[in-house]
Amino acid sequence: MTESEILGKLKESILIFDVELAEKSAQEAVNTDIDPLKAVEEGLVKGLDIIGEKYENDEIFLPELMMAANTFQTAMQILEPKISEKGQERAKKGIIVLGTVKGDIHKIGKDIVTLLFRTAGYEVHDLGEDVDLFTFIENAKKLNADAIGLSALLTSTLSGQKDVIDALTQEGMREKYIIMVGGGATTPEWAETIGADLFAENAQAAVRKLTEMIAKKS
Amino acid sequence: MLSFYEVIDRAVTGPLMSDQDYYLKNYVPELNKVIQQYKIKFNPETPLPSDDALADTVFEAAVDFFSRVGAYCPDTSRVMKFTKEEILLAAGEAPSASSFGEGPDRKVMRSRMPDDHSEPWYHCGGGIYTTSDAVFMNQIEGLANIKKACSLSIPSSISLKGKDARVRSPQEVLATIKTVSMGREACKRAGRPGLPILNGISTATGPISMFAASHPNFGLRPSDGFLIDSLAEMVVDFEALDKVAFYTSLGANIGSTSTPLFGGYNGGAEGNVIVTVVYNLLGILIFRGTYHYNAPLHTKLRVSSTGPLLWIIALANQALHRNAPYPTLNLPYLGGGAGTDCYYYEMAAYHTCVVTSGGNMLSGHPSISVAPDSIVPLDHVLNIEAAQAASKLTRKEANPIVLKFLEKYEGQLKSPPKGLTYQECYDMVTGELTNAEYAKNADRIRKELRDLGLPVEKSA
Repeated sequence: MTESEILGKLKESILIFDVELAEKSAQEAVNTDIDPLKAVEEGLVKGLDIIGEKYENDEIFLPELMMAANTFQTAMQILEPKISEKGQERAKKGIIVLGTVKGDIHKIGKDIVTLLFRTAGYEVHDLGEDVDLFTFIENAKKLNADAIGLSALLTSTLSGQKDVIDALTQEGMREKYIIMVGGGATTPEWAETIGADLFAENAQAAVRKLTEMIAKKS
Repeated sequence: MLSFYEVIDRAVTGPLMSDQDYYLKNYVPELNKVIQQYKIKFNPETPLPSDDALADTVFEAAVDFFSRVGAYCPDTSRVMKFTKEEILLAAGEAPSASSFGEGPDRKVMRSRMPDDHSEPWYHCGGGIYTTSDAVFMNQIEGLANIKKACSLSIPSSISLKGKDARVRSPQEVLATIKTVSMGREACKRAGRPGLPILNGISTATGPISMFAASHPNFGLRPSDGFLIDSLAEMVVDFEALDKVAFYTSLGANIGSTSTPLFGGYNGGAEGNVIVTVVYNLLGILIFRGTYHYNAPLHTKLRVSSTGPLLWIIALANQALHRNAPYPTLNLPYLGGGAGTDCYYYEMAAYHTCVVTSGGNMLSGHPSISVAPDSIVPLDHVLNIEAAQAASKLTRKEANPIVLKFLEKYEGQLKSPPKGLTYQECYDMVTGELTNAEYAKNADRIRKELRDLGLPVEKSA
């Protein structure tokens, strides 16, 4: 197989969620000395880009996103060690810690955001649901995060988003992180009131807006 | 039907599983298999289908899927499993009619049949809406003054003396008690003290504040309705089961509630129609409900009014009422703000699908449910008029009308128009409608709906 064919197979494996094809094509890329970073960016990521568009257009949904992410991870288990061996590093768009705030146990919206950020090239640390405010802060510090994502579905849990911002301000770290808020109960007005940097009306908007904000900052 | 003791025992004896495995190894693959096996396929040409065989197939698929995946209890990390026979037994014993309210306002909500020309139950006030204290009483009184309203939702009050009433805080307990007391008082002021409040205890997020506000001193009665919800998808936690234990012991009406998510683990239209029916079955069997709140929702747009979502709510109601008569209220989350054409066409499309399919009406929640003070009583009069008009149609007659409505608004759902607030339409002292332009616009909309085929008549 030519390089172009192998890259095509990697892309295809993502589009049809074929874990075996991803594994086989990644191994083929290694065996034929294709630059592993190129295999990722011009093979797998091209597939993920199309997956993202399909999700945006309601052609696929969360289960397919999860299958695409799983297929991607399978190929990466073969390609990532080779990238390290070459002293290369896959460019990360940013590091995010996110979760649903204290008192709120809703998860699906937050899970979708996590997946979309991951497929868009972010390193995402999903802290889960009903997350204590200091857990957000400790993880952001430990992981040197660029952004903290705070999800709240209920109106009565919105204050959990404000608490994280207040605690960061109290500790003199507010400017260190981009704070994005989302979830059913949030509004742009609420985001402004509590001093969040970014309001995301849905998962795609979160990815788009954070990417723009990080680009502006750098 | 299995006893509640047997049901809660399944939460502590069912197979152990992590939530990740429940979704990835069980729920998602089994749902895909069921969709394929029963050949369920969304057709955009019929957002309001009238194929009884399809409705029955959806019901069969729902029973099969529920028996395969059960419900997940996160408190024990166990799957509450039920056999097909146990599910069908519960379906066969579903309460087909439930009584609500007191005195002259005591009425019976029924499971209706598709193409049944009986008038549906009219529930006013959207879902759980947020309202500032300034308009709280007037808003509820305005809804209670709607003569044809059979029941109400009352707002959620999230502040107490100007401070946030946080989730599970003592402030929440007090705000919850304040809310139900004011809700009942507003009904009394409208001269309808017996009007049932069916959205339970809107300010409560957990059982403590819900139980506290259920004390008879605060005005709620077993003949009101108390909502108990599953978390999406198919999560039944101990808090929900605690509520079932309490309200069944009181002999109160329980409204099982569900919000299947379009775009989430259920995927698209096909998965969601099955799961919407499953939640009703779960409501009968696990939550011991006397009625159900259906609220399938688009995860990105946060509305219930897209073409596929209309198909889901219509077909799920048909499947249910033909096979397990259980009264349903069907909550439309709408994109358009109060008083906008977008809102009116969305609610008309939704109610037409629901009412011709055997469901009961729950008036539409405007502005993607986030704009406070957006429940404006005259809008809810129009909701009733649209639902009443729909009851005169058959599904076949109504489908082309729904398609025309969809053309009017579907393109606006990504960025729906903002609307009015209560304060912009009504006098804050007298509660009288003062916005003449808004009232005139309602008349124009009535005419447009009639011109498009929905025989709306202006209420007296």
